[in-house]
Amino acid sequence: MKRLVGWAMLFLLLVVWLIPIAWLVITSLKIERDVVTEHFTVFSSLPTAANYIKAFGKTEISRWLLNSVIVSAVTTIFSALLCSTIAYALARIRFPGRNAIFIFVLAGMMVPFEAIIIQLYLEFNALGLINTLTAMIVPRLAAPVGVFILTQFFQGIPSELEEAAFMDGASRFIIFQSVIVPMGKAAIVAVMILSFINAWNDFLWPLVVASQSARYTITVGIANFQGTHGTEYSLIMAGGVIASVPQILAFLFFRDHIVKGIATTGIRG
Amino acid sequence: MQSHARDIRDALLFSAPFLLVYLAFLVAPIFYGIFLSLHEWNILSGKSFVGVKNFADALRDQMFRSSFLHTCQFVLLSTPSIVVAGFCMALIVVSKSRLNKAAEALFFSPYVFSITVVGTLWGWLFQKNYGLINQVLNSFGSPGVGWLTDPVIAMGSIVVATLWWTAGFNMVLFVAGIRQIPDDIYEAAHLDGATNLQVLTRITLPLLRDTTVLVVILQIVASFKVFGQVYVMTGGGPYGTTRVLVQYVYEAAFTYFKMGYASAMSLYLFLIILAVSVLQYVAYRNRRR
Repeated sequence: MKRLVGWAMLFLLLVVWLIPIAWLVITSLKIERDVVTEHFTVFSSLPTAANYIKAFGKTEISRWLLNSVIVSAVTTIFSALLCSTIAYALARIRFPGRNAIFIFVLAGMMVPFEAIIIQLYLEFNALGLINTLTAMIVPRLAAPVGVFILTQFFQGIPSELEEAAFMDGASRFIIFQSVIVPMGKAAIVAVMILSFINAWNDFLWPLVVASQSARYTITVGIANFQGTHGTEYSLIMAGGVIASVPQILAFLFFRDHIVKGIATTGIRG
Repeated sequence: MQSHARDIRDALLFSAPFLLVYLAFLVAPIFYGIFLSLHEWNILSGKSFVGVKNFADALRDQMFRSSFLHTCQFVLLSTPSIVVAGFCMALIVVSKSRLNKAAEALFFSPYVFSITVVGTLWGWLFQKNYGLINQVLNSFGSPGVGWLTDPVIAMGSIVVATLWWTAGFNMVLFVAGIRQIPDDIYEAAHLDGATNLQVLTRITLPLLRDTTVLVVILQIVASFKVFGQVYVMTGGGPYGTTRVLVQYVYEAAFTYFKMGYASAMSLYLFLIILAVSVLQYVAYRNRRR
């Protein structure tokens, strides 16, 4: 009996936890007059895709999605490249100043992005790059936390393979490609997933740097949806669903990677 | 000797791309920020050196003080609640309940939504006339609450939305910590007839100290940086009662173009977060010893 009560309470808690997400989807499928009404119903008499059609047809949401995909994909790829190359140098090459550089890079983990937004804006303004996707990508490329994870991981790769390749006269570029990257794949993938999610969810910096709605990322576009669509809640919720599709897919396919990445690094988006 | 020269060359080639971007877009902005904070600059006019005037002005600025207080209020409300919620979730996930797999996935799932979607969604749930929560309250005969329009309640509502969003993140860290505690300790306690409460307070909590410190500090840092949910849900209102530090810095810089002044305020934020991060480092070092 006691166990049954516990089970029921937990079940209830899980349902409550799910309600906001369910409400997001349900609202997006309602027609406007079933949403803004005193006669409250859970489901609409007729579920409709009209809000989704309107979101794609009458708003710039597909443009924002495209911007987000470009920004996140390019950030992820180049950030992985920059972080893994320096991590290889820090983990596997002996050179003077190595520890100093490692600490210098790690110190960057303590710098909140929020505290350098103004200077970055002025810097990109001087470069004539305000209102470009480039400006949204570049400051996210040098991610100290990626270096930290990858350096630690690369240090654990057995050195025999590397030495054997050296004997065969391979250069470090060959070794990096044919030994380090394949052996370090798990860590590189973890870093890439986290950096994709962080880039996708980035809000303050794209908000500052994009002044025309054609340059918005999806997070900025959704934030401004309420300003332009006021009380069209079903349309706004449809936008929210559309904006979340990539993350939901990532969650379904990479949940273990994401969870493991958080558990081992404690990185917060 | 030749191989030594090659090592240095290779190290340089492999680290230069990262270091260049790092210097240009992370290190340089910090120093530029310090430089700016010592100047008065409204973009249109020229820069003029004013020393520490911006820092002193901020301390006297009513808006800065109130947004700092609101941020502290958010930190104090959100940190304990979100940490405790994450811990309770972790206990459920590691329990032998048949629902624990589903619980882990469900509790974590809000975290995958971006902050603006979460803010928009909760803004709708909390909406005064047609939002779900007040609609349900109405059906029980209650008049409903101005969740985001009542100055006393608004910050609490933002904390609730944030808890729903990020408690699952803390849960993941707690679950990882609890799973590191050896099973035989629990078995021994069980044989000695320890109650569940005793197991929790005498075994799980003390052995989880390091994880708890990490979770608390990460949560404090994240809470000090709060912005997105406020921007979307209340815009700082009602009557500025939820305006937070990052938002005021943002407004000072990009609405009023007081670049020097905004830089000084963002340095205050930087110092606060740096202090918390140093605490984390100290806690980490104590653990290693």
